[in-house]
Amino acid sequence: MLFNSIEFLLFLPTVFFLYWFVFKNQLRAQNVLLLVASYIFYGWWDWRFLSLIIASTFLDYFIAIQLGKTDVSKKRKFLLVISLAGNLGMLGFFKYYNFFVSSWIEAWSSVGITMEASTLNIILPVGISFYTFQTLSYTIDVYRKEMQPTKSFIDFAAFVTFFPQLVAGPIERASHLLPQFYKNRTFDYQNAVDGVKLIIWGMFKKVVVADNCAFFVNKIFENPEAYSSGELFVGMVFFAFQIYGDFSGYSDMAIGISKLFGFDLMVNFKFPYFSRDIAEFWRRWHISLSTWFRDYIYIPLGGSKGTQWFQIRNVMIIFLVSGFWHGANWTYVVWGLFHALMFLPLLLFNVNRSHLITKSYGWLDFAKIGVTFLVVCIGWVFFRADSIADAFQYLAHLFELKSLGLSLFYKTNANLMIFALSALAVGILSMQELVWVIKKRDLPKISAFGALLLVLLIFFMGSFKNQMDFIYFQF
Amino acid sequence: MKKFINKIALYTFFILLIGNGIAFLSLYVLGKSQLYKNQFVKNGVKEKHFDYVVLGSSTGLTTLDTKLIDKTLNTSGLNISMDDTSLSSHYLMLQYFLSLGKTTDQLILCVTPGDLQNPVNELNNNDYRFLTEVQDTLIYNYYDRMEQGGLKVLAYSKFMPILGVSYYNNELFYPSLYAFLKPNKRNRFDDKGNFTYPQIKNNIEKGIVSNIETSYLNPSFLKIKKLCKQKGIDLVVYQSPIYRKNVVFPTNEDFKIINHSTILPEELFYDNIHVNSKGRTFCTLAFCKEIKNP
Repeated sequence: MLFNSIEFLLFLPTVFFLYWFVFKNQLRAQNVLLLVASYIFYGWWDWRFLSLIIASTFLDYFIAIQLGKTDVSKKRKFLLVISLAGNLGMLGFFKYYNFFVSSWIEAWSSVGITMEASTLNIILPVGISFYTFQTLSYTIDVYRKEMQPTKSFIDFAAFVTFFPQLVAGPIERASHLLPQFYKNRTFDYQNAVDGVKLIIWGMFKKVVVADNCAFFVNKIFENPEAYSSGELFVGMVFFAFQIYGDFSGYSDMAIGISKLFGFDLMVNFKFPYFSRDIAEFWRRWHISLSTWFRDYIYIPLGGSKGTQWFQIRNVMIIFLVSGFWHGANWTYVVWGLFHALMFLPLLLFNVNRSHLITKSYGWLDFAKIGVTFLVVCIGWVFFRADSIADAFQYLAHLFELKSLGLSLFYKTNANLMIFALSALAVGILSMQELVWVIKKRDLPKISAFGALLLVLLIFFMGSFKNQMDFIYFQF
Repeated sequence: MKKFINKIALYTFFILLIGNGIAFLSLYVLGKSQLYKNQFVKNGVKEKHFDYVVLGSSTGLTTLDTKLIDKTLNTSGLNISMDDTSLSSHYLMLQYFLSLGKTTDQLILCVTPGDLQNPVNELNNNDYRFLTEVQDTLIYNYYDRMEQGGLKVLAYSKFMPILGVSYYNNELFYPSLYAFLKPNKRNRFDDKGNFTYPQIKNNIEKGIVSNIETSYLNPSFLKIKKLCKQKGIDLVVYQSPIYRKNVVFPTNEDFKIINHSTILPEELFYDNIHVNSKGRTFCTLAFCKEIKNP
């Protein structure tokens, strides 16, 4: 079920009504309701994949219980390995099996050896990378004795499947979200109002910004050699806004919907295109994933301690894994590598945290923001292209600067209209976020009038006919 | 909680009020313009009676030039074709044309072989253009019948215009702003309803001529035929050129068929199914000859 679908428009008020009116002050019943609602929400795509979530839930629930019962180090490690193998095994099979098989065959064929191996017709379950990481965080935290295992299966299952963030995050930590299922929740008017405003803002980013930009992005990336350098540049920038509007829009809606049920989710995006360097970008972009990698991979590897060689190794690992997490394609790995290469100089010159101490924005900061945005945009070309060769071809055409013409955008009336809409949407988003960045906000703050205006903009600027799936569902 | 529900209800009411108001105005302005073919037929065509009308999709719009036909045969005709449509929309357009009190002696129905034998009618890409007339029972019933799924955005626009106008905002809302400034502007057709593709070198793939057999399975075709009979309109089925295809029609029909599927030289095609401006003249003159000498 998509947030921007008619089904969800009926689903959400129904669950809200049952939650606050029928099961008011009944914690257990509310959690059961959330669990059932989440299964319905997820099963709407393909009910068969519910079995994977249920299996993952059972696995980590029982492993954690067992971890809570023993202090024997070997046994604890064994239990952790079972959880890791089970969760990552499922993820690996559904997401990476075909990729590894075809990469293996290609590697051998490149040295002249023909191999035969069959790939499987595997459908990628929606959101598998998100809920797998969420359950893993629970087991690892219990293993590290940073939290107690829960005895309530319902609470744990509701935490794993919590529908607002189930398929595209934020990837919640068990230590933050799970305890919220234990406590009685009372309706908070201001929290609910803030939630509705966030839903509206997220919807604007998705339906108006992302889906309008997608029209040209799909055209240009499909056949980049047919377009001028100017058009390729706009295509690249539009993709930056498409993926941002799409993904952060989903996160905003997830946080907003959670607020309606009295839950608090972590902030996943802090206006990342106003970053002054790549280090800052990664503190503002997909925060729930980058902090997950930081806490469960980077720091256990030694983090920024040790020799420079160790630091470089750790940074490379973290960025490559992060790229690979996004999908079974070398393009994502190269995207990760590209970001690692952009990050390493900051680390080596020890300026990767300098943005944390800068209090206000001067002209130089805005110049840095512009440069960082361009670097991020170049990275997105690898992320969006079908293959590494396609990405390089795109960039080669772009930097050829053969022609700066923009005729694609005014070739037909329809193109001109969609271009104008996309540019206007990107302008509104950027200006609004600039205000929030200058005011040092982490989350959007919207007035009642602003929310009303946004709804009207969604109606009259939204791309409903050419509605696109959320990009991050495929991860 | 009560306060929250009340606020949500109040804001929803305001949004729907303002949104529907804007959508209503948008449809009103568009309805008074000549932007799309149905609005043109209603607001831009003063004549009540025609010797013939050309009805079809993009091939009907671009193959027969009614100005040249009228000049050659000394007749009065009109092209009421609409691109990206099929026989179900053609039937709607014919009904709409007649419902405006207009008449014609002859209907030149431009068909495509695939559409003609398609037994299933679905909503077409440009059917939204009739939304300005959704209050008309004819149009509402058409949308209601053709739209699939739970939320019929076009049909329900009769009661909530914001549904259709926001869903088709690029096609209806923004053009209505344009129509407000230029109410006589027509969207890619001249004052007789014709459009032509430019004279450019085509890139169509070469191939040998093959036959395509067709049949009259489309229910909308049968309805058009019946309506013509009821209204005393002479039905002529016209097949425009298709690159390297020979369309074979069933024989012994009680209407005239002009089959131009194979008459056009290669260089007069714009693409596989459309003719260029010279091709249009070529086809129109050939048509005049055939219609004059049965």
